[in-house]
Amino acid sequence: MAKKGGLMKWLDERLAISELWRVMMSEYYLPKNINFLWSFGVLTMLVFVILVVTGIILLMYYKPDSKLAFDSVNKTIMMDVSYGWVFRHTHAVGASIMFLVLFIHMARGIYYGSYKAPREVVWVTGFILFVLMSATAFTGYLLPWGQMSYWAAQTITTLFEKIPFIGPDLVIWIRGNYIVEDATLTRFFALHVTLLPALILVFTVIHMYAVRIVGSNNEDGIPMTKEEKKKNGIPFWPVFMSKEFFVMSVFLLFFFYLVFFNYGFAMDPINFQPANYLQTPPHIYPEWYFLAFYEVLRGFFFSETLGLIAFVASMFLPLFLPWLDRSPIVSGKHRPLFRIMFWIFIIDFVFLTILGKLPPTGLFAWLGFIGAIVYFIFFFSLPIISFIEKKQVASGGGQQ
Amino acid sequence: MKELKILLVIVVLVLIGYWGIEPLAHSIMHKEIEEAIEKYKLPDFEFSDLPEPAVRTGDPAKGKEATKMFCTSCHGIKVEGIKPPMDPKTAAASFGVVPPDLSNIAAVIDEKFMINFLKDPQKATENPKFAMPPLGLNDQQAADITAYLKGIAKKDMSPKEKTVEACVRCHSIKYQKIYAETPEENLKKYLGKVPPDLSIIYKAKGEEYLHAFINRPSKILHGTSMPRLGIDEKSQHDIVKYLDEISDPHKEQRKKVGLIVLAYMLVMVGLTYAWKRKIWKNIH
Repeated sequence: MAKKGGLMKWLDERLAISELWRVMMSEYYLPKNINFLWSFGVLTMLVFVILVVTGIILLMYYKPDSKLAFDSVNKTIMMDVSYGWVFRHTHAVGASIMFLVLFIHMARGIYYGSYKAPREVVWVTGFILFVLMSATAFTGYLLPWGQMSYWAAQTITTLFEKIPFIGPDLVIWIRGNYIVEDATLTRFFALHVTLLPALILVFTVIHMYAVRIVGSNNEDGIPMTKEEKKKNGIPFWPVFMSKEFFVMSVFLLFFFYLVFFNYGFAMDPINFQPANYLQTPPHIYPEWYFLAFYEVLRGFFFSETLGLIAFVASMFLPLFLPWLDRSPIVSGKHRPLFRIMFWIFIIDFVFLTILGKLPPTGLFAWLGFIGAIVYFIFFFSLPIISFIEKKQVASGGGQQ
Repeated sequence: MKELKILLVIVVLVLIGYWGIEPLAHSIMHKEIEEAIEKYKLPDFEFSDLPEPAVRTGDPAKGKEATKMFCTSCHGIKVEGIKPPMDPKTAAASFGVVPPDLSNIAAVIDEKFMINFLKDPQKATENPKFAMPPLGLNDQQAADITAYLKGIAKKDMSPKEKTVEACVRCHSIKYQKIYAETPEENLKKYLGKVPPDLSIIYKAKGEEYLHAFINRPSKILHGTSMPRLGIDEKSQHDIVKYLDEISDPHKEQRKKVGLIVLAYMLVMVGLTYAWKRKIWKNIH
């Protein structure tokens, strides 16, 4: 934006675009000691754009009606519209991969302590984005109106029944009927294509704005003033983005490999049978990205109520990380105790994800219970670790 | 180096997760099916549970007489100019299902199975509710009728024709604009439910399952109302292949476009890497 031609000058006088560019891009500095994991934030935005673009194309042919939905997806889009299948595959795989990218983005935030002061707002808005994305994925998964769409929605909405006093009425209110039916499909459709993406957009803006104010964290968790960053850091444009484009290209290579050659994980075979409320499939499971939370729910196999409480807690506990972990040491790189718990947590999350798809019987039920307990142990170990580390720092030990 | 280590950790975790939710989960969920396939060695095109017929070679001329005597009170044979005694609607209402025209039925059915079937339909189909009653034929008559029907059947049926011949009495393939011969309400009464549409059944069930299920339905899905039809090996392969093709008509296009996109992305990886190197050259 160095040159200022006629149009640029005209716009600049009215919108201050060169100032905006400076603040957002060319003079927004990042620390140098960051690795490629810091590229995953922009990757989520890339995937979001892919989802919006493919979503708009799908929207042109999709019919949100329980009698037409299945055929509009599996016949019209997959067979008749030229290259319709590309858009459906990309949308389905994109939704799945969005969560992989999100999980890595969040895990990076947890490991390097990016949720700590002064970045609480970044963490909280990011968590809200995760919840919104989950809601979008859940509502979107009903739209193809296949067997798994239907029974996953039926099972998950049934969970609300357990809420005291209002539960049963709430379920009917959500579904718009006594069972998941046409009314449910149309309302999920409305939320999936309007309100939820709009909210995601709004919170993305707030999330980015907050990051621009407090700046990126770094591997060592060292707080840096704007001047220090200017001296020792790299500008967002073009230095950071030149690396980001490389990461994006590698990511897209992997992504399109999945889209064209290995999409089965994102399109369950059972969902190629139309929804039938009279016939329950032998195994019902959510998409892979909800399996860990789902397994926490099933882990308490001896008490439905307890399972439900655990399920809600497992989803919302990460929101409170900035307040559970009050240690003065920011980055996990300098926190040996925290690091042990972190890796136990990550392995447990993968473990729960795998268990979540298996039938919850015999040994699997007990393994699920243990996995669920370990999941919570991570969060409740944080105040203890913080306490120990605070003492260490006070006595001059530990690095910052 | 450090970044490659991080990448390696991510790749390993993702692969473990993928292994768990795909191959492992499916092998555990489909255990019963795998066991049935193993136990009965499916698909079993020898139909080894059925006895070897006492008479295997029949006389087509005698078979023609026997067919007229035993079969045409319910079935038509178009190629011989024999019309069915009832229109499809009335037939479906009386029998539960429209009896098939016998012109080409033998083109898709195994000889051994057919002789067994003619003698005892319920036993051969492993379906006690099968609509055709036992006719009290002797071994010779069953072999004669089989020889006759094998003789009149078309020899070079396309996979699509075979699929229609074998499946469309009860199943629709609506994306191909093929509809079941028997009306839905009769099927519901006869089978307990409307049988699934076959347009994209291949995607839902996959090759292995379809081969095993068509070959021996009751052993794969307990209590299913689908009878064993005794489809011969060649015909079953044609049918499953046809179901594969219609469920995924853009397979070739997908491979082609996929390779182009991947090649493009590979070039982009190179270009973006070069640009990154150039920008980062002086930063340390």
